[in-house]
Amino acid sequence: MSEGEQKVKLLSSDQVEIETERKVAERSMLIKNMIEDLGAPGEEPIPIMNVSEAVLRKVLEWCQHHKNDPAPTQDDDADSRKKTTDIEDWDQKFMQVDQEMLFEIILAANYMDIKALLDVGCKTVANMIKGKSPEEIRKTFNIQNDFTPEEEDQIRRENEWAEDR
Amino acid sequence: MGKRPREESELDDSHPSKRTRPSSTDHLSRLSDELILRVLSYLPVPQLVTCQRLSNKYNLLAGDSQLWKSQYYNRFVRPRASRLPGIKDVDDSSGTLHFASKVSRWLDDEHLIKRGSKTNWKRQYKLRHNWSKGSCAVNEIEVAEHAPVPPVIVQLHDGIIYMASKNDGLRAWSAKDERRMLAQSPLGGSSHAPPTSMAIDAKEAEPALSRVIIGFEDGAFGLYSLDHAAGRFLHQYSHEPSSNGVVSAVALTYPYAVTMTATQCLSLYRFKVRSREERRPEGTDAPVLLHSLKSQTVWPPLSTSLRTSNSDIVVSVAYALPTYLSGWTVGIQEVRLDQTGRLLETRLASAIDQHYRPLAFSLQPIMHHLPSPAPGSLATSTATELRHIHSKPTSLSYTHPYLLVSHPDNTLTLYLVTSTAEALAISAGSRLWGHTSSVSGAHVGGRGKAVSVSRRGDELRVWELEGGFASSAAKKRLATGDLSVQLRPEKRSTNEPAQAGLDLVNKAASMNALDESSGLTLIRGWIGFDEENVVVLKEQSQGRQALVVYDFT
Repeated sequence: MSEGEQKVKLLSSDQVEIETERKVAERSMLIKNMIEDLGAPGEEPIPIMNVSEAVLRKVLEWCQHHKNDPAPTQDDDADSRKKTTDIEDWDQKFMQVDQEMLFEIILAANYMDIKALLDVGCKTVANMIKGKSPEEIRKTFNIQNDFTPEEEDQIRRENEWAEDR
Repeated sequence: MGKRPREESELDDSHPSKRTRPSSTDHLSRLSDELILRVLSYLPVPQLVTCQRLSNKYNLLAGDSQLWKSQYYNRFVRPRASRLPGIKDVDDSSGTLHFASKVSRWLDDEHLIKRGSKTNWKRQYKLRHNWSKGSCAVNEIEVAEHAPVPPVIVQLHDGIIYMASKNDGLRAWSAKDERRMLAQSPLGGSSHAPPTSMAIDAKEAEPALSRVIIGFEDGAFGLYSLDHAAGRFLHQYSHEPSSNGVVSAVALTYPYAVTMTATQCLSLYRFKVRSREERRPEGTDAPVLLHSLKSQTVWPPLSTSLRTSNSDIVVSVAYALPTYLSGWTVGIQEVRLDQTGRLLETRLASAIDQHYRPLAFSLQPIMHHLPSPAPGSLATSTATELRHIHSKPTSLSYTHPYLLVSHPDNTLTLYLVTSTAEALAISAGSRLWGHTSSVSGAHVGGRGKAVSVSRRGDELRVWELEGGFASSAAKKRLATGDLSVQLRPEKRSTNEPAQAGLDLVNKAASMNALDESSGLTLIRGWIGFDEENVVVLKEQSQGRQALVVYDFT
């Protein structure tokens, strides 16, 4: 049996066991490193401590679709990412979930170290911010405005120079 | 994206606090700062400042220096890197920011790093943004009620404006925030002649001290130092008046100093360097005259500069040069000496070759007047240049490798100087169009940024000339007139939104941005700039003189 067809068992935070292809699971650097440390996937399921079953299934769905993508390069840091918020169609559809799930996916992608998924998640949020007024953004995310009107006005004036370019 | 209520049961129980108010949870703020910054890194600048208005938390996060550093690089450094010939390893495919590499240190504005303190990248971004837009605040510093004769000599260096005049002596003003006088001192010495030239030490060896050299009408010169902490000038040395006449230009790279007189005598001096302990407050020993040269060809306006290395000293004089066939051009003389003042080499170059046209081949009258060509026809700028007759330049500014000359016919000419061990050469000039009236002064800085001012003082332009015009992209920019932007001073105190309109270059004629009430305003040709300010010496009809400070912060 080749490595790619090997099966891996994962255990969600709510103690649900999910079996998947090793290749799919290894989109997560966390899991990949764990398997490498063990030498081979064992019989014992790998606990994914911070991710619930629903979110884990969603994440694995993404990994399944992207399992043949080229592996991420090691040295690309924050600055080298392309600063576009374009998202491919499949990912866009995949991210059409409610906010709670969206942020759970981002947290899971961050925890499981799946950079490409984390980027898709962050871009999705960035797109939700784009083109909105501060009040609209606050409403979208339920952000508490803790400024006094004077403070807010001052920040607006300080940043006037940057509004058009 | 709409919000739908979710079933709680299938979600984990490890974050009970987050589940308390499912319909009004602030999911975004729940993310770690690191993740929020990652989201914000996908936003362009206008959205970033919108996010700063959300709450205190986002004000801090969206103002994060690293975010702005990356914006700064994307907007100002990468495009420059691709524009510069010979720097190919900063390619966009890898897109990596070689921040600490040699290339980027060269590319980057070194002042950002050398200050030692943490760089405020948002502030730097804003500064560059304002330069690129020409937006600035204007302040005036009154210099004199009546025009002193001869006029005040002014220099701007690292945020300090130095002024020398017979009546008021040597003065230093801060060009930064408060714009107050820092120090004032009589010129002293045995000389009672008015000052005619001034230079600030180009090499700042000691941050607490700035050295100033002043040349006088009677051939004397003096060395002064400004003690930044104490806020006073120290008169360190005065040289006796000399028969060589008016000192028309000076340069200082301590301990070396150069003077150039109107009779075209160039002298190089060396001061004795003392250690901090044995330095006496009252003055400095007389300098040693290392070398003296006389030139027959050097005409004002001219600019002298002094470069030192471990082994040798290079004195360059850039000057305007009359030719019989095609008006005025520029020349440059480089004198290389060793540390003891022994002449190693002297080299001359001029842009004359490009202008030389034997009469026999001339199809058109030599002195014909060229109308300003429409933008677009300028792609053949070299050809235009060849046919153009140069009038005597109104000013000349040389900061290696850029040599910028202003003309009374609304244009500037940029030359690139090549100085290697083998050769000294000046490129063909490139005409810069944009001004709509006579240009009286221009100043170019080391990174190819230049400012120019019209004679009436109503039109100031900022130019980005880096890399010259060898590449086709640069030629295109030259042709479309996309090289300069007119300053848009704005009154900071009012809440009026900044004027819209990006296409300032073409609107320049209709905009009379500077204060129109001042009547006839003449600019006597002095203009200078540093990282944050442009300073212009302005003279009004009643003889009142004022420094106008254009603040880009």
